[in-house]
Amino acid sequence: MDTIWLPPALVCYALSAAGFVAGRATSRPRWTDQAVPLLGAAVLFHTLDLVVGALKAGNIPVTNFAQSLSFLAWLTAIVSFILIVRMRMQVLGAFVAPGVLAAAGAAMLLRRRGRLVIPDSLRSAWLPVHVTLAFLGDALFVVAAGVSLAYLVYESRLKAKRPMEPAGQTMPSLEKLDLINYRLLGWGFVMLSLAIISGALWAESTWGHFWSWEPQESWSLVTWLLYAALLESRIAAGWRGRRAAALTLAVFTVLLGSFLSVSLLFPGKHGGSFG
Amino acid sequence: MDEKLLIVGINHRSAPVAVRERLAYGEGEIVAALGRLKDRAPALAEIALVSTCNRVEIIGVAADSARALDQATGFLAADRAVDAALFAGALYRLEGRDAVHHLFRVGASLDSMVVGEPQILGQLKLSYGYAAEAGTAGLVLHRAFHRAFSVAKRVRKATLIGHGSVSVSSAAVRLAGQIFDTLGDKTVMLMGAGQMAELTARQLRALGAETLLVTSRTFDHAVALARALGGTAVPFENHRPYLKIADIVIGSLSAARPVLEPDDFEAILRERRYRPMFLIDMGVPRNFDERLNAMENVYLYDIDDLGAVVTESVGERAREADKAETIVAEALASFMRWMDGLDLVPAIKDIRGSIEQLRDTELGRHRAWLATMEPTERERIEALTRTLVNKLLHRILAGLRSTGAGSPDPVHTAEIARRLLCGEMGAEGPALGGTISGLDFEIDLESDDEEES
Repeated sequence: MDTIWLPPALVCYALSAAGFVAGRATSRPRWTDQAVPLLGAAVLFHTLDLVVGALKAGNIPVTNFAQSLSFLAWLTAIVSFILIVRMRMQVLGAFVAPGVLAAAGAAMLLRRRGRLVIPDSLRSAWLPVHVTLAFLGDALFVVAAGVSLAYLVYESRLKAKRPMEPAGQTMPSLEKLDLINYRLLGWGFVMLSLAIISGALWAESTWGHFWSWEPQESWSLVTWLLYAALLESRIAAGWRGRRAAALTLAVFTVLLGSFLSVSLLFPGKHGGSFG
Repeated sequence: MDEKLLIVGINHRSAPVAVRERLAYGEGEIVAALGRLKDRAPALAEIALVSTCNRVEIIGVAADSARALDQATGFLAADRAVDAALFAGALYRLEGRDAVHHLFRVGASLDSMVVGEPQILGQLKLSYGYAAEAGTAGLVLHRAFHRAFSVAKRVRKATLIGHGSVSVSSAAVRLAGQIFDTLGDKTVMLMGAGQMAELTARQLRALGAETLLVTSRTFDHAVALARALGGTAVPFENHRPYLKIADIVIGSLSAARPVLEPDDFEAILRERRYRPMFLIDMGVPRNFDERLNAMENVYLYDIDDLGAVVTESVGERAREADKAETIVAEALASFMRWMDGLDLVPAIKDIRGSIEQLRDTELGRHRAWLATMEPTERERIEALTRTLVNKLLHRILAGLRSTGAGSPDPVHTAEIARRLLCGEMGAEGPALGGTISGLDFEIDLESDDEEES
């Protein structure tokens, strides 16, 4: 372990995920109420872990797959936490927290193989900017997928005439879930666009060309186009509700695939095995 | 002192509304009624009066429970000018533990027609307020009512007894809340008329639905209903164009065949850009073709579906009621312990007073000697004697208050303890001598101080 703060973060993630899932399974608000501050605590520990790591490395600690997973988990947890607290969407926890736990857990397991040294080619002020934008975009899409999943579950229950009566829990309406999905996609798209732009500018200053059709870059472009289409379908054709949620999940699957495959299978010139 | 809580009254289970309404008191009448009760039922030391659509009850505190109950019963008949025979069969009389149990259950809405309803707590609080205002509430009622309120709060918090929808219209409204985030910018269309449909429309409006359109085969009916509900009437022949702006449609027409079918509905959905639509079908025969539910972003609930939601909620409330009963039982036990303790208060007071007086007397007798000591030493002696007295008292009181299955009646024990410690046993005087199972002994009180000084 590189820093001592990741294990407690993981413990809190695990407890929080357990609380959210138990709360949904048993319809007992008590579990969910306790899971929320646990998630906050987890975020706090995780932040310390990343800050310490960054100080040691001299720059943002995302040089290998494990670290990028950790960074992604951290951003996803923050976005989820904000949504849960500000928009009172505790139910979201059950759909997102397990994923965050998995990512953070994997990060910790894989971490021993990674070294906290940033290759020279990447030492630049562009690194944190480009990486944060890209990962923030990813995190927003992850949460959007979680929201879409929640939407589909609730919608199918309503259609089947077995509506949820999660007494005591704040259950967001379908309309709200749909709207939040839209907003997350919108912001995610903005982040992704900025990430691509900043990446291109950075590449220009380092290697002399804006674009080189690296696997990672190409996949990012495909993802960008898919999300653009998703947003367009909503704005122009009014696709919303179940259709939008299903499509979000479909596009997210593509995103997930690109993240994993490029990181693990096709490490190109694009910054080692980067996500 | 053997005061008990008493309740005499009728409720929705014991008497039909025709009887309850004869005995009911309006809110404004209660304080005056309490005044009259105080005069006509002197056996009641404390009185409160509860009158709701579910019950009329006199809650009181009295030492002579039989007399008090009779007087209260007589009051109801006389004050409401009603023949006692009318409600004699419906009247229940509760005293002591049963009365407290009933009060707590009522407060926790376990005795209501709809278990888990939230109004009863407010109604009880009002009744308590009136009793306080009339000056007829005393120590026991203060404590009993406050306990009832806290039990009710705890039940509502710790169980799901108040959750879910137990009427078809509130189930429909709740479902609307699961589909739509706010009703403020939504339009409701009411087709036809009917009690449940109108109630649903009314509730939706109350929750903020911006526009209400009312349509009916007879335009005059639509107009009248629209005026009553605060909406706009639409002629039935012309209702189709409005469907594309209606987010919630309530169907309550008497029609042999459904008025909304999937074939022409697709066009409406497209025009709405697939914004969600909630169709509430309260008609029998149904107004909306059931296949509409399969269409995108359309949610159709007919009367059976709503009924199933209600049944589920009622069942859940019944399960939660069991938990509530446990909470009530705990509170009841604790309250009865307090009431038992009340009987010990005079004895405890006397015991405490007597022993502390002993201490004062002895310290007083040695005043001269104490005055010659250093202040710190004198304080130490005073503290020591105080501690001794307190520890002795603590032992005695703890022993009196403990109520185990095998322990003797606390009131009786307290009385014996009182007599023992206040020196009232054996009124022969201060000579404490005699025989205890063969042992001769004498205790000479006079010699102590002379040896000390």
